[in-house]
Amino acid sequence: MTLIEMKGLRKVFGRNIEAVKNLDLSVEEGEFLVLVGPSGCGKTTTLRMIAGFEEPTAGEIYIQGRLVNDIEPGQRNLGMVFQNLALFPHKTVAENIEFGPRMKKVDPETRLRRVREAAEMVKITHLLDKLPGQCSGGEAQRVALARTLVTDPSVFLLDEPLSSLDAKLRREMRAEIDRLHQRLGKTFVFVTHDQEEAMTLADRIVVMRDGVIEQVGSPLEIYGDPVSHFVADFFGSPSMNLIPGTLSQESGKARFRAPGLTVELPPSFSQAPAGEATLGFRPEHLAVSQNGGIFRGEVRLVEPLGKDTLLYFDRGGERPLIAVVEGTRTFREGDTLGVSVNPDLLYLFGGDGKRIRRGSKGTGIRPA
Amino acid sequence: MKRFVKKWRYPLFRTLMLTAWALLAGFPIFWITSTSFKPDNEWHKWPPVYVSKNATLDNYRMVWPIHQTGSIFVTPDQKGHGVAHESVTANKPWHALKNSLLIALSSTAIAVAFGTLLAYGVSRYRILSDTRMFQLLVLRMIPPIVVAAPLTLYYSVLQLMDTASGLIVVYFITSLPYAVWMTKSFIDEVPREMEQAAEILGASRWQTIWEIIFPLIRSGVVATFLFILILTWSEYLLSFILSKVDVVTLPVQLSKYEGSTEGRVYGHQAALAVGITFPLIIIGIFIRKHLVRGFTFGMVKR
Repeated sequence: MTLIEMKGLRKVFGRNIEAVKNLDLSVEEGEFLVLVGPSGCGKTTTLRMIAGFEEPTAGEIYIQGRLVNDIEPGQRNLGMVFQNLALFPHKTVAENIEFGPRMKKVDPETRLRRVREAAEMVKITHLLDKLPGQCSGGEAQRVALARTLVTDPSVFLLDEPLSSLDAKLRREMRAEIDRLHQRLGKTFVFVTHDQEEAMTLADRIVVMRDGVIEQVGSPLEIYGDPVSHFVADFFGSPSMNLIPGTLSQESGKARFRAPGLTVELPPSFSQAPAGEATLGFRPEHLAVSQNGGIFRGEVRLVEPLGKDTLLYFDRGGERPLIAVVEGTRTFREGDTLGVSVNPDLLYLFGGDGKRIRRGSKGTGIRPA
Repeated sequence: MKRFVKKWRYPLFRTLMLTAWALLAGFPIFWITSTSFKPDNEWHKWPPVYVSKNATLDNYRMVWPIHQTGSIFVTPDQKGHGVAHESVTANKPWHALKNSLLIALSSTAIAVAFGTLLAYGVSRYRILSDTRMFQLLVLRMIPPIVVAAPLTLYYSVLQLMDTASGLIVVYFITSLPYAVWMTKSFIDEVPREMEQAAEILGASRWQTIWEIIFPLIRSGVVATFLFILILTWSEYLLSFILSKVDVVTLPVQLSKYEGSTEGRVYGHQAALAVGITFPLIIIGIFIRKHLVRGFTFGMVKR
């Protein structure tokens, strides 16, 4: 069932800063939806429009079938966790959690019980008498979650809630949020700029860029089947190797050329338009060997990560070419190696940044 | 040796400067307090008497009489017999204290209440542009004497001359800019998300202001209140011009101890001055915690 539906949503700040342009999106009941994109892509604005803190310039928002454009945030039955958490510093943890039910005039006994339940759910019962200032970052995070879940909202909105935590705690809280989602079975809309967070948490990812939706799909779809250069580049760590060059069609064979590199593309690309193009392949899809390969180069940097090792090759471009190899193999900086790639795992993007799929003719649009 | 000098040079300099400043600022307070306890023959003595050996409370009894009848009031003499006095200032200080309390407290309270609400609107909804905010401050840059003359005209037409409400209105208007500017800086410090969190949890606007904003800016509001109270409490010029017969405030009363018949009655004046000053100092000590937090502006942990 569709829980939230946005139709033709648009938000303009000031005279002409268009944060969100004509956005259509629906959120299904119980799903974990992640809005992801670089800063300024409109993801937070979208979330804030759902919450009711920003009024859409145009378009409609429906929550549970009800048009909420003119409904106050407090009446939308939503819960929100803010980026800076926004705990009330002068109230104890218990008072913070109790605030929502108290505002909704729940009787004191029920309130007490619900505060306890919420605190237990995120394991902070020992903190109830403390002030938020006395809690650590992770604890404060849990308090913010408890304060939200105690009101039993139909949707949880989370605005980059983990961005202030260090890496280890972030992974911990990520698991916590995931567990909470599964336990509560509620709908979560989560905003982040971290692709890893998006990949690990989401049922469905919405990739945004410059106020428009670039792609919607499951994490694996987004990772394995990006619709554009932008999405391909955004997801994955280390990110996809993207090599700008030109595509030519010579007697029925597609050939990609870039400085120091020529790749014969599989026949499925024979329909692709000649011209400016970008070739992409994931670092983990590369194989290195002493001889052969589509590209030969000197290893500039070896980065052992334990299980895997990253090899950086200097291609003269802006970004090095990165290959992931098993950690058991040893390489040295300065080694000259050949890099080969499985042609079935190649991605091709046109001059407009859109993906050129196998067997397709591309959009044929050139950037101005 | 060199390191020793280096280490002590700045603390020493700082201590010297601060000591000098403290002496400069503290001496008048010491002098007025000391004079207030001197018997009348020591008021004008040369070389000056710093701490009287014949300290007496007579000045206080004169200025703040406990028993009084009309303009005649009674103080006990050394043998304990009541002695009747009559003075140009008789009976007035208590009256002036009452006026000052009423006028200063109510005008300050109104200014801070209005100012805080206005500041909230400016901080959150920009109901006043930066230009307007600056103009509000410019209001304070006009020398009061410039507006005093036209004000007397308005006030006599409006029948506000020599009334407590007249002074309350003028003090409210003149201190509003301070109230707005000061409280706004505190409200600005409260993250907007804090309010939005309350809002999405179902709090109404008033509940949000009362439960979230106000407790967080309370120290700032207290500091603002005291700051404005001090200004209003000791304001002389407008009070003197707009009201000097019926509704006399303490600073105006203080200026009346230079009677043409009595000469300068330093001791009485000093006793009154101490009476005016000390309540403020005592309030200041009581709310010191708020003042420190309020004036340092670091009240919200983000």
